[in-house]
Order: sequence, then C-alpha cells, then structure tokens
Amino acid sequence: MTTLPIVNSLSVLLILTSLSVVESRRLKVSAYFYSAQSLVLISIFLTLAILSEAEQLYLWSVTALVTKAFLVPFILLRVIRTTGVIEEEPPLIRTTWSLLLAAVMVGIAFVLVQPFHLFAVLKYKTALAVSLAHFLLGLHCMITRRNALKQLLGFCLMENGSHLTLAIMAYNVPKLVEIGILTDAVFGVLIMSLIAKKLHDAFGSMDASQLKMLKG
Amino acid sequence: MSREVLLLIILAIPLVAAAASFTLRLRRFLEFIQVAANAGVLLVTFFLIKEVLAGGAVSALGGNLKLDELSSILTLIIGGLGFLLGVYSIPYLAYETRRGEVTPRDLGLYYGLYHLFILTMLLTVLSNNILIMWVALEATTLASAFLVGFYRHRSSLEGAWKYVLICSAGIAFALFGTILVFANAFQLTGQVEKATLWTEVLKIAAAMDPVILKMAFVFVLIGFGTKAGLVPMHTWLPDAHSEAPSPASALLSGVLLNCGLLLVTRYYALIGQAIGFTFPRTLLLALGLASVVIAAFFILVQKDMKRMLAYSSIENMGIIAFGLGIGGPAGIMAALTQMVNHSVTKALMFGAAGNVVQKFGTRDTEKIKGVLKIAPVTGLLLIAGALSLGGSPPFAIFISKFLTVTVALKEGYLLLTVILLAALAVVFGAMLNFVVRTVFGVPGKEHEKGDLGLAMLVPLVILFVIMLTLGIGIPEFLNQLLERSAEIILGG
Repeated sequence: MTTLPIVNSLSVLLILTSLSVVESRRLKVSAYFYSAQSLVLISIFLTLAILSEAEQLYLWSVTALVTKAFLVPFILLRVIRTTGVIEEEPPLIRTTWSLLLAAVMVGIAFVLVQPFHLFAVLKYKTALAVSLAHFLLGLHCMITRRNALKQLLGFCLMENGSHLTLAIMAYNVPKLVEIGILTDAVFGVLIMSLIAKKLHDAFGSMDASQLKMLKG
Repeated sequence: MSREVLLLIILAIPLVAAAASFTLRLRRFLEFIQVAANAGVLLVTFFLIKEVLAGGAVSALGGNLKLDELSSILTLIIGGLGFLLGVYSIPYLAYETRRGEVTPRDLGLYYGLYHLFILTMLLTVLSNNILIMWVALEATTLASAFLVGFYRHRSSLEGAWKYVLICSAGIAFALFGTILVFANAFQLTGQVEKATLWTEVLKIAAAMDPVILKMAFVFVLIGFGTKAGLVPMHTWLPDAHSEAPSPASALLSGVLLNCGLLLVTRYYALIGQAIGFTFPRTLLLALGLASVVIAAFFILVQKDMKRMLAYSSIENMGIIAFGLGIGGPAGIMAALTQMVNHSVTKALMFGAAGNVVQKFGTRDTEKIKGVLKIAPVTGLLLIAGALSLGGSPPFAIFISKFLTVTVALKEGYLLLTVILLAALAVVFGAMLNFVVRTVFGVPGKEHEKGDLGLAMLVPLVILFVIMLTLGIGIPEFLNQLLERSAEIILGG
C-alpha cells in the first residue's frame, strides 16, 4: 500500500499551507495560499480515489477544484480588489505566540484522534488529526485576526478541515448530501464576503475589532 | 391525497414563493404571495398533524423526510408563527417603506428571504437524514443573514457579521460530530442508507462505539448549541436578534433557536439510547443552568428593549436544555412544552416591541414611557407577554417553568433547582421593572396617541389568545404529541 505515506505527507503539506494562510499579512497572498491548499486537498482526494478505489471521490475532486481552488479565491480576490484593502490589521497576538498557539492546536488534534482505534480509518490517523487541526487553526485565525477577510479565511480553513474528514471517513455519502454541503460552503463565503464588503463601506476598514457598537 | 405528497407540498410552497418573490417585485403581488404561501404552509401543517395523530409518522423520499411527533411540534411552531408573523410583516414593512427606511426594491428581498428562511427551517425539522439536517440548519443561517443586516445600518451589519461568522464556525463542529456518527454507523451496517437515516441509526445505537459517540455529542452540542444560543456560544445572539426587523427577530428568537435545539435533542436521543442518558444529561444541565443564570443578569440590566428580549431567549433556551438535562419522560415533556410556550410568547413580545419601536422611534427603555396611554392594546399585550416571560400565571410560560421546577425537585436536584429559581426570580423582577417603567408612566407630548392599525394588532391578539390558552392547560392533541415525542427520545 502506497496510499498511506502519500496521504499522510500531503496532509502535513496541508498544515503548512494553513499556517501560511494564517500568518501572511497581505490578504492577496493569503487568498493564493488558500487556493494552493485546496489543490493539496484535491490531491489527497485523488490519491484516495485512485489507490483506495473510492470512485465517489473523483466527483469530489472535480467539484472541489471548481469551488475551492477557483470560485472561493476568486470571490475573496474580488473583495480585496474592490475595497482596495491590501494588508490586514496587526493581529491581536504576536507572530511568535501565534505560531506557538498553532503548534498547541495541532498537538491537541493529534491527541483527540487517539480514541479512534476502532475505526477502519485507523491507517489515516495522521490525515484525520490534520483535518481536526485545520478546524482548530481556522478557529485560531478567526479569533486572533482582526481583519474580516482573514476571519472569513479562518472559516474556509475550518471547512477544508471538515471536507477532509468527510473524504476520509464518509466519502460514500449520497451525492445530494455532497451537493448540499458544497452549496452551503460557497454561499457561506459569498454572503460573508458581501457583508465584509459592506462593513468596509460603512466603517472605512475591515477591522472587525472595531465592531463594538453592540455590547452588553 | 397520499400522506407522502403532503410532505413534498409543504416544502414546495415556500420554495415557489421565494422564487416568485425574488423575480416579480411588485408590492401587491409580494404581499399576496406572503399571505397565501404562509397560509398554505399552515394549512398543510394542520393536515399533516392530523395524519400523524391518526396514523403515526409520515415519511417521504425513501425515509429521508419524516414527520414524527417530535417534528410535528416544531412544524406547528414554524407554520403557525410563520403565518402570523408573515401577516404582521406586511404593515410593518409598509410603514418602514413610508418612512424611507426600506426601499420598495428591498421588499422583494425581504419577502423572498422570509420564504427561504421558512423553507430551510422546515427542511431542518423534517429531515430524517442526519447530514441533510446539518445542511439545512446551516442554510437557515445563510437565509437569515441578510434579514439581520436588512437595515444596512452600521450596527445591523455588525450584527449580521457576527451572526454568520460565529454560527457558521460553530456549526462546522456539528458537521464533524455528524460525520463521526455516520462513519461509525456505516462501519457497523455497511449500508449508506442505514448510516444516514436518523431512525435507522437509532436502531443500531446500542452497538456503536461509546467513545466515538461521546465525542460526537460534544461536537454536535457545540455546533447546534451555537445555533440554539446556549451559553457560552451565545455571544452573537443579542446582536443579531435585536438588529433584524421585528418580525424577523420574532422568527429568529421564537422559531429558529428551537430548530437548533431539536437537532441537539435528536443526538441526545441517539447517544442516550446507545450509552445511557447520564452523559448527555450532565452536559445539558450544565449549559442550561449557565444560560439561565447568565442571561438573567443581562435581562436585568438591559436598556435596549429588543436586546432584553434576545437575552430572554437565551434564558428560555437554557430552561429547555435544563429540562432535557433532568431527563426522563417528565423532564422531556417539560422541556418541549417550554419550547412551544416560549415560541408563542416571544413572537408576541417581538411583535409588540415592533409596535412600540414604530410608535416611539426608539428601543431605549429609558425613553419609552406610557405605552398604555399612547397605544393601549399594544400596552396590554406587552404586559401579558412580559408576565408570561417572567413566569407568572395565567400565561403559557408559567406552566412549563412550573413543570420544569417540580420535575427537577422530584428527581432530587435540590441545589440546581434553588439556583434556577433564584435566576428565575431575577427574570421575574426584571420583567416587572420593564412593565412599570415602559408600559405605565406618563408619555412625552411628542408622541401621537392612537394604537397601530388592525393588521399589526390582530396577529398579536391571536398570539395572546394562544398564550392564554396554553397557560390554562396543555391542549389534548399537543399532550399526545408531547407524550409520543418523549417516547421517541427515550426509546420505546
């Protein structure tokens, strides 16, 4: 079996791209890294599809290519272009702490998958831990970044995490479900970026930390 | 007509209505569709519930859609409040248009989203497919996001941003939990269908892996609990629910929160029947009590009327979670009764608040004085609703709060019940204080006397009558649904 090392090393690459999405200060760069990450994710789908004969994953790969590698980055880049916001506001924590926190999150993810010993997916434990790590990294990005688009990218990371989980543990769900999940994902990004754009129009920046009108 | 077709019709009506509203943006037409579609949904709901009461659950599309007794209660809430608030929306928005707050173009957006919102909520409660449930609940956030940000003020945009971001992130956790359950069930059965249908997974619950299930429940509780507004995942709720137009606030608070809790309940049943109820009960008791206690103090200090009502929703969701936490048939029935009673009361209160906002032009309770003198009917409705929220007889919430407390005492949760009662006393005090300060008193001279039009009062008066009826006793048909729901949840 050659699947295992390929999937696991691609998963590690996934973590690296996530860190790049989180740590890049320039929004455009973050969006490109997100697109790159989606390509890595699609290669995992394809590896699983070819080597584990999970045919459903071919369709996953195609839809993910269209939506995650192109459509979502396109939407994000459009907002960046129309608002003219180039760089994110300084994050709430310094880069050193941010990276340390990220490392802790990855650690937590690996601990969390330990009880999964009864699963057939045992061999993809690393990939599974990575999918959970994406979740936590996305959350990290949402909480510690002030820029609305970066927070949105954090959500996208969480999504990529859960779609990796889906591919590993539940690639055989009915097509209708897959369509539903992807539709939600694309509309979610579309709606959030529309609101982010409106926030920029109303407040003059996309700094979500200044959203403090509603309190108490 | 066959029973299954009704399930498809009830989903088709809001779908067609949404498409029509988005495309043909003529005001009269939009208003006609608004009344007709919501009345249609309510009518089909009545037929469906009659069927359920007579012959048990109705299912369609290979069991992917299913209306059991539990979802009947939720469908009744969606259909009933959807219709009444749908009618109330028309004069409310007409006024906002006259005032220039809403452009005629926005009307198509509002009504289209309203139908879409109803559709996604119906799909959430009618879905028997654990993955489609998730998809539908996430779709409710997307459908209602622009209702929250409808006024395009800075504050509404802020509310909408927090709403979409926090709820979407939260619910992503629930997807992970859902996948865990699916994967485990698939491993056991080897059949996709048996791993996706909630009723089928329930049958093999006992054979599933306890560790995986516990983990799944935690994820699901974080995810769907965020949508239900349980503490500590509640931070978005006061912002979002206070910023939407009042009828939409009423739908968000009175209807949507229940949909989140319903999905928690579905997993509560699944995990409970598999590994025993102690684990899910403990978690729900903790989150429920925390929600009631924390919300109670925010209700007390809140000066913005709609924010106060939003915090009250967190408190009420807490009581429902607490009831589920006590568990057993009596605890579950108390929780579900509370769900119904809170919905009706909260819809009435947000409607009455909407009237006050239109009359006084503010939500600040320090500037609102003498509602009773300016708009007597609205004032009376506010008094009744506030008393119900405070847990006073003879109104609906009194019964379910009373049930929850007595069951908790009977099951021996003395300390928790004392804490709960203390928090409920704070809420009661806060509601009395609210009534005394705003409904009574002498109004400023600048406010024109005279209540709002009939169209804005009749739906609220109907809600008042329902609230009073529910306060006198639980109707027989509802009791039947509640009892069967408790059986479904506990397994039997």
